[in-house]
Amino acid sequence: MDRRRSREKTAKASPTEPSSQISASGACIIQLLCGLGLAAAFFLSENVYSVDLVTDPSHTLFLIWITELPILILLYSHYRQNREQCTYLRAVGRGLLAMPVGALVSYLGAVALGAPVTIQYLKKNIHWSFMMSLFTTVPASCVFGSSFADWRRIFVHTKPNGTLDYLICLPAHGAIIGAWFGAWPMPLDWERPWQEWPICVSYGAITGYLVAVVASCGVAIAHRSKHVKGE
Amino acid sequence: MWVTLMLHVVGILIFTRGFLLTRTELPNYSLCSDISQSFCLSPETTPRFYSSDDFDRTTNSSDASCWTKPAINRLVIIVLDALRFDFVAPSTFFKESKPWMDRFQILKEVASRHGSSARIFKAIADPPTTSLQRLKGLTTGGLPTFVDVGNSFGAPAIVEDNLINQLVQNGKKVVMMGDDTWTQLFPDHFERSYPFPSFNVKDLDTVDNGCVDHLFPSLYEEDWDVLISHFLGVDHAGHIFGVDSTPMIEKLEQYNNILKRVIEVLESQSGPGGVHENTLLVVMGDHGQTLNGDHGGGSAEEVETAIFAMSFKEPPSSIPSEFDTSSCQVDLDGKKVCTSSMQQLDFAVTMSALLGYFGLRTMELVFCKYIRIGRINPELYAVGAGGWNLEGSQKLSQSDIWMQNYANALCINSWQVKRYIDVYSATSAVGFSHDDLSQIESIYAEAEKNWLHSTKKFLLDGNNGSDTVVFELKKQIDAYFNFLASVAEHARFKWTEFDLNMMGIGIGIMIVSLIFQVHAIIRANKQLGVSILSGVSGMFSVSSFAFFLLALRAFSFLSNSYILEEGKVANFLLATSGIVTLRYSVMKKKLIIESVGFLLLSTFCRFAIEIGLSKQAATSAFMKEYTSWILNISSGFPVWEYVAEVVPMLVLILLAFWLCKVTSGTSFKWSWKCVILGTILSYMLIIVHWVADNDKFGAVLVPESIGRNYIPRIIYAIALGQLSVVSFGQLYNDNCLNDKKTLLIKTMTNISAWSSTIILLSGKQGPMIAFAAIIGGYCIMRLDNIEGGTKDGPGGSLIVGPFPVVQWSLFAVCLFFCSGHWCAFDGLRYGAAFIGFEEFVLFRQAILLAIDTFGFSIILPVLGLPFLVANKYQANHGKHFLFLQLSRVYIMYGFMTAITLTFTILCVTIQRRHLMVWGLFAPKFVFDVAALILSDLLSLSFLGPPFDSLRQNGIGVPIGWAMSLDAPMACSSSREITYADYYVCNPLTKVGFQLPVCQTMFCGSIYVDLLVGFVCEPHYHVDAEAENVSLNGLLS
Repeated sequence: MDRRRSREKTAKASPTEPSSQISASGACIIQLLCGLGLAAAFFLSENVYSVDLVTDPSHTLFLIWITELPILILLYSHYRQNREQCTYLRAVGRGLLAMPVGALVSYLGAVALGAPVTIQYLKKNIHWSFMMSLFTTVPASCVFGSSFADWRRIFVHTKPNGTLDYLICLPAHGAIIGAWFGAWPMPLDWERPWQEWPICVSYGAITGYLVAVVASCGVAIAHRSKHVKGE
Repeated sequence: MWVTLMLHVVGILIFTRGFLLTRTELPNYSLCSDISQSFCLSPETTPRFYSSDDFDRTTNSSDASCWTKPAINRLVIIVLDALRFDFVAPSTFFKESKPWMDRFQILKEVASRHGSSARIFKAIADPPTTSLQRLKGLTTGGLPTFVDVGNSFGAPAIVEDNLINQLVQNGKKVVMMGDDTWTQLFPDHFERSYPFPSFNVKDLDTVDNGCVDHLFPSLYEEDWDVLISHFLGVDHAGHIFGVDSTPMIEKLEQYNNILKRVIEVLESQSGPGGVHENTLLVVMGDHGQTLNGDHGGGSAEEVETAIFAMSFKEPPSSIPSEFDTSSCQVDLDGKKVCTSSMQQLDFAVTMSALLGYFGLRTMELVFCKYIRIGRINPELYAVGAGGWNLEGSQKLSQSDIWMQNYANALCINSWQVKRYIDVYSATSAVGFSHDDLSQIESIYAEAEKNWLHSTKKFLLDGNNGSDTVVFELKKQIDAYFNFLASVAEHARFKWTEFDLNMMGIGIGIMIVSLIFQVHAIIRANKQLGVSILSGVSGMFSVSSFAFFLLALRAFSFLSNSYILEEGKVANFLLATSGIVTLRYSVMKKKLIIESVGFLLLSTFCRFAIEIGLSKQAATSAFMKEYTSWILNISSGFPVWEYVAEVVPMLVLILLAFWLCKVTSGTSFKWSWKCVILGTILSYMLIIVHWVADNDKFGAVLVPESIGRNYIPRIIYAIALGQLSVVSFGQLYNDNCLNDKKTLLIKTMTNISAWSSTIILLSGKQGPMIAFAAIIGGYCIMRLDNIEGGTKDGPGGSLIVGPFPVVQWSLFAVCLFFCSGHWCAFDGLRYGAAFIGFEEFVLFRQAILLAIDTFGFSIILPVLGLPFLVANKYQANHGKHFLFLQLSRVYIMYGFMTAITLTFTILCVTIQRRHLMVWGLFAPKFVFDVAALILSDLLSLSFLGPPFDSLRQNGIGVPIGWAMSLDAPMACSSSREITYADYYVCNPLTKVGFQLPVCQTMFCGSIYVDLLVGFVCEPHYHVDAEAENVSLNGLLS
């Protein structure tokens, strides 16, 4: 849907340290768990609550972000920067705090691009922006906290260095770009139920996210093999 | 530039010739005697069914042996403009009852009382649903050409064979009252006519009262055969107040009373020997309207109108069930009301059949270009069929008689179709193929044979049992239906004469012009010393993103859904570009406020567009929620009304103040100052005009007539004066256009001269949109500087990249939709054409309408483009550079407009058989053409003459040489020494570098002595800050 950049202006530039490294297998496991989380959310909505994105978008979106939230926060908080100053719990708290902030930014971005804002869409909008926030800002905030320089490096310059950066950067961009393309079928007159906001946008975002997750795994493995060769 | 314009005009003209269908018009009119050539029954051969002594032929004495027998003698047609089907039909036909339904109680009552002698039809009209086109369709039975819409303002007389013409030729007398479009269409056909002007939409009553005044006296008179009365009130009430409004309900009730009186009068005289013994009353709409009162397009609301037909004789019986397509519902009073559906085009044929004139070249009329078969509508025919006196035929039941007549009418109809096709194929270059012709031939021959050998015999003998006759008749009718259907099917594919060659050539020329423009851009880039790809990497990605956006927008025109939602799509792209710039500005850590502002602005645009689009599709969900929401607010608190009144005025005052402030700071010539002052004065006058227009406190301050008419005229006059000052200034002061300040001032005055008129025409929303436009323009201009600022390579920073230009054009498109327009003819705001003028003059009103439509989307953005250039311009780059920049930007902008048009053309070509081609693609095409030509012309007007001299300069002849350190210096000029440009050339690479142009070379009439030679850097110094060139420390 949008290419909004999440910024936290209150940030103080933190001393740049080498970001805590992550092994390729660890990266793959993280991404695998994320993917599994998504799959579990879909499974849950399909079989337990018997809803899907088309029939009840807000409920499904809610299920998606509520299952994905603990997985992402707990996993990424492990790889926080500044381990000495920042406890695990604090990283978790940062992630939880970033959730509504990111949601607000995605909401505004979506409205700028034409998302409906009437009362009946409010619930869908909220759940959708929570999901987008989860894909984009939450991992970054768990890892980087309020380090503005790192945020800028990832989201504005798109210059990730290191496996962890790729793990954060690629899925976030994938979700945003996927959502942006997902909006394209909306005006068409095919009269399909999934052309409604925010169904196809969510599909786009999830597809983009998954593709980027796979790609980031690939990058992590490539990185390692290069590393090994280098040694 | 000229070449581009020429290419565009030629390409569009050729394409239009191929696309807007042309039909070979057949000169022959049907004659009465033609009918004897057919095998159908004529009155003499079937005396038994047409015992003519019973028949009143007083008015039809000339053609006793001609055509079919008239079923009715007199016809009263009451046309209610923009009559929606749900005005007439009982509310039980619809899902929910609305306030405007069930107002025509009398029609419902009559329809349920008289059984089949009165009937309500749902008539499906063909787009374009404007009055003129529909009247043409009603009388000729043909589909209008698309371009006719443009003529809706000034209706040309119908030259083709038509119903009215046939009536007059046969000695019938036609009386008309109401809408003066009729008299324009038929200037000298009417016995008497009482036309009233139709275009003043604010006037709800003049036409109607005039109609009523003349209608009732006429009903008692005997000197006419056909009476046409055209009421306009509902149309005007819809345009001004919308369907769901008190004036509309009042109008409908008024009509109900009028119709009640008409029916009473007619009934009272319908007894034997009465004036209206054989009269058919037809109450019909010419087209429908949307809930906002708009019409012109092809939506269901607009094309569905009603026809109510009633004869005052008892009908023979119900028509056979297989021809009865009616659906019945019990209305609120518990009566059963039936309605049927028909094509509005069938009206002409059926009426002519009822009146007994097959002299109409039925088929040619019905058939015109894009084919709908016109067949006599069985049910409407049945309504009028009560007129036949059926005493002569005891053997057969009345419905059989009806069927015989119907079969005979179909026979003649088919024969005429056949003849028309034969003649058409013989004379027209693009006719039917041989195979099709032979196929049609064989079907017709079969039906003919059937008719000749069996049916006719049965009918003439009349000794057979009734059952056999009925069976044969049914078979016969089926055969003719079959024939007509097959012709229609063939014709639908063959008749639409899209001239593909012409269209192809048109597209080719457009593509050539695109290539030409690309070439021009590349050349300009070369002369400026950059190529698009050589810029810094960031710039490269941004400009490629700009091309991506442009391509997306262009390709979106290939789908009708995207055209329908064009405003939203453009805004989506604009917001995307805004987000990208935001990212960029965060990257560069500057101008963040501007980019956030731009994003907010695009959000504002987005809401404005949705409100605008909701007017277009009144049924959309958005409309329901938002307008009710807004209405609730505004109706709940009277404060809101005052806010809605006052805010535009405040914004306008703000604009005037801003203009004042901007100009007071700088010093420039008195003429420019005059222009700006004039604009400020105009703004004040607009405020006075609005105050005067307001009912609440206007009447006290200013007499109404002055406020309504004179103030706008004064504003127009001021604007004209300003424009002439500006253009004179442009003519005589060209040479001075060589620094940033003059360029800015010139652009400023240009825009301000136009702005007052545009704001006035756009109404209350005008100032807000103007304000948004200024903010948007400012943001784009500022954001353009992001890339350049940090790097001081002269190439990258000084060239206006494609990205801001794309943003500029996207923003212009958004403004078009923000100001409540859309690409359809019902999107034109006709009300704007009448600001300041009550009466209608084609040329004047068309210009006003054009200014209103394209003011914010073409005129202001195109004239404002130099701001982008001035923003980038620095003093040390001379006039040549400035011109090149300007022309490059203009060419880029033109290229973008041309690309959208080219894709629209492609799309129209691909989708030419699409259902929506006339409803959606063709209007879009016309709007794009208008936009392209307008922007081409405006760019020319801005940089026409100087650009010409420049272009010659660019390739000018060297007229002087000098050498220093083996580096030759060239002076090139084509005209006079004062235009000369100087180059230093590298003899090895043969590349020239243009030297900065001396600022004070020639300005006005002051000559400055010019010494040319080589001075090297320590002695020669360009001071960018002070815009000075110093030589050995002295200012030159």
